[in-house]
Amino acid sequence: MLDRPPELPALSRTRRLNIYRVIRSGLGALLVAYVAWRLYEVLVVKAEYGPDTWLRFAISGLVLGSVYSLIAIGYTLVYGILRMINFAHGDVMMLGAFGGYFVLEALSAIPVASEVNPPLTFLNAHPILAVILAFACGMSIAALSGFFLERIVYHPLRRAPRLAPLIGAIGASVFLENAAQLLFGPQRRDYNNPFLLLRGAGWLIPVGTGVRLTYTGVLTFVLSLILMLGLYLLVYHTRLGCAMRAVAEDKQTAALMGIDVDHVISLTFVISGALAGAAGVMWGLHNGLVYYLIGFVPGLKAFTAAVLGGIGNVPGTLFGGLLLGTIESVGPAALGIDFQLKDVIAFLILILVLLFRPAGLLGEVSTEETL
Amino acid sequence: MTHAQLHPAFRTGVIFGVVVIFLMLIGFATTAAQLLGALLGNMTFPLVNLLFLLGLVGLWGGAMGVRSAEAAISAPQAAPAAKTDTANAALVCGLMTGGMTGLLVAGLVFVVSILHARGANIRACLYALSPETIQLLSLGLPPAAAALAHLGLQLLSGIAGALLGRAVSLRGDHWQRRLSASRQLVRRRLASSASQPKIAHVWANRRLRRPLLCCSGLALVLLLPLVLGQYWNYNLGTIGIYVVLGLGLNVVVGLAGLLDLGYVAFFAIGAYTMALLTAPEPHHLQWSFWIALPIAVCLAALTGVLLGIPVLRLRGDYLAIVTLGFGEIIGILSRSDMLAPFSGGPLGVRGIAGPTLLGRTFSSQRDFLYLIVLSVLLTIFVTSRLRNSRVGRAWLAMADDETVSRAMGLNTLKYKLLAFGIGAAFAGLGGALFAARNQFTGPEDQTLMVSINVLALIIVGGTGSVPGIIIGALVLKGLPEMLRPLENYRLLAFGALLVVMIIWKPTGLWPPAKRRLESREVAEAFSDAEITTTEDKLKQ
Repeated sequence: MLDRPPELPALSRTRRLNIYRVIRSGLGALLVAYVAWRLYEVLVVKAEYGPDTWLRFAISGLVLGSVYSLIAIGYTLVYGILRMINFAHGDVMMLGAFGGYFVLEALSAIPVASEVNPPLTFLNAHPILAVILAFACGMSIAALSGFFLERIVYHPLRRAPRLAPLIGAIGASVFLENAAQLLFGPQRRDYNNPFLLLRGAGWLIPVGTGVRLTYTGVLTFVLSLILMLGLYLLVYHTRLGCAMRAVAEDKQTAALMGIDVDHVISLTFVISGALAGAAGVMWGLHNGLVYYLIGFVPGLKAFTAAVLGGIGNVPGTLFGGLLLGTIESVGPAALGIDFQLKDVIAFLILILVLLFRPAGLLGEVSTEETL
Repeated sequence: MTHAQLHPAFRTGVIFGVVVIFLMLIGFATTAAQLLGALLGNMTFPLVNLLFLLGLVGLWGGAMGVRSAEAAISAPQAAPAAKTDTANAALVCGLMTGGMTGLLVAGLVFVVSILHARGANIRACLYALSPETIQLLSLGLPPAAAALAHLGLQLLSGIAGALLGRAVSLRGDHWQRRLSASRQLVRRRLASSASQPKIAHVWANRRLRRPLLCCSGLALVLLLPLVLGQYWNYNLGTIGIYVVLGLGLNVVVGLAGLLDLGYVAFFAIGAYTMALLTAPEPHHLQWSFWIALPIAVCLAALTGVLLGIPVLRLRGDYLAIVTLGFGEIIGILSRSDMLAPFSGGPLGVRGIAGPTLLGRTFSSQRDFLYLIVLSVLLTIFVTSRLRNSRVGRAWLAMADDETVSRAMGLNTLKYKLLAFGIGAAFAGLGGALFAARNQFTGPEDQTLMVSINVLALIIVGGTGSVPGIIIGALVLKGLPEMLRPLENYRLLAFGALLVVMIIWKPTGLWPPAKRRLESREVAEAFSDAEITTTEDKLKQ
């Protein structure tokens, strides 16, 4: 290090950073103290919830978290390659949910010849096939909308200033939400589950008063784990994944190596759209309600999850999603605050992560410059 | 007739078909037909209006098809096709475009009317397709005939549009030459003659032009409220408040280059401060408007700085998402029951006091409009003075390249906090005025759409330019008021407009002078590069 004369501004910069650090650590200490106090208050002093309640919260948190991580994968893939936040990704998930909804509705209107009275519909005669069809349709609609989103909005903005794609994405998001409202109407619709997968039905775990492990929850959790495993294999063990990673690293060099960059970017949007579509159908099957705004808040939460785990990192995203879902579900009870405020917890976590560990929990630590 | 011509025509046809289908499915086609009927005064024939509208779309499609085909031929990378027989080619292009559009539209009409005839409840799935709409779309004919009629209409209008488009493009060069010639003539006359009428002379003088425009605009703004009724004064007031918000956000986004999507948070803080201090309901304070206003502004600015300290170290889109999250937190808190005893909860706060001046209460919308105009002028003054000061230059430098400006010894954190605080102060001013004028504030005023609206009006108008922001506010808040029948499609058009603007005119409708210069330079650089690359290709 060179010795700097004291009047150079560089010294004031180090002092400023120290102030920033002091504020940050003070804030962190306050927060830790508050959380510890609330946990003590709720768990030890009041202790109003038994183990069954906590288990119930944890299960619903894990299911929610698996949906979040499936959506978050889309953010991570696109961010890794284009360095942009695909703000309309949540709305792609909404379109996927609608795709699955209409398939199930159509199948429940087809009668099937059988001896049972009242006659079975296709939906209940072949429930597994029906659910597979719903997933296929939802995923392909979402994949298509992801593809066209990239073609129409992001492709022309590839060379634009950095904020331009984000603003385009906001516009696309507003457009998709309102298009869905005008097309499908403002009303909330009930997902038409087959009898096999009725919402609320499931195995009973004998803890306390009994905790129900719903079939839809298990389906959601297992299927999203399988899809994410598939994605992991795709990204790290195929030629396409290799091309994707190369494009993420450096577009120009990748193009020089003979990779069709536009094609890879398109495929990335298709894949992330398909995963979001699957998440949408799961959301519908598990939660039951679909309407034109269901994509917005899960989209934001999934982005939070992606940042929490380390954006651009596939296993980190899975971890971040599950963690966020669990915190969001257990948090209000554990801290003894109003359940209306669970979204506040999620957004606060986003702010805190960016403050204390901007690269995410599992992301590689990068310098300030890359943020 | 080559593949190079047919392919673009086919694409245009498919795009037009998909767009028409989308407009039919959201019910816009019928609404537009009604609007056209109201405009032409023949409400009794909705069918004629619809057919007229669809024919117009077909014409447009045909013209576009020919244009894209011609562009494909004249593109440098295409094979140098013989340009003979273009009338025939235009005919084929129109046939292709109209045919594709027609096939798609006819398919939709056929399927929908068949389903309707078999008694399916289409409205349960597609909300806009009520039985009357289906009746209208199928032209009162049986399904197959309706489909054929739509196909025929699109084919005919596509061909007509193609021929028309070809004629226009043939004559187009000629017209363009004449137009530029006449423009040059006018310019030469203006330049040469001192004996011209005074007005033209003043107009030609750039230094006089601006004050003239400003004075006439000011006179218009001061006189207009006297003429307009209660309703338009209210709307103009809303536009004015959005101009204040836009100018404030412009300091953050346009000058300092920080994308803030949680602007509504500061708006909410201003509105709630005004509400809680002056309203009788939750706290019985009932202070005067004039005391509450500066408190609201200062509190908003303070929150801006406080929020800024932790998050401003982040850059670009991360900052956008964090501020978005903060805006959502404020929204959730204002809706929650937890804070209801403090801030009114989901019901909001009623009975907010208006200002009194010299014993006179501001009762009508006109008085408020004058107050708002005053604050708009104040905002314009402050922001433009700031922009041209040392601070403003520091912001611009920071927006251009943060690392370099830091290396030049700029304390970027300080300037960022300043920008955030000033932006938040104007948001607080806007929020306080909004709450006082409506005599109410509640969670429904503090939605994400406020942030997005303000951001959009800056972008549509032109980031960093004052007249641009006023135009943006007029376009985004004023036009929807004039197009009340299209209320349902407002947000849809808004989203589409945002996308189109950012792609087509990233610098906005009225970019600031510096940006205009820059984008011209960039465009020139680009066109130079293109020329060289095509030359290289030709050499090979």
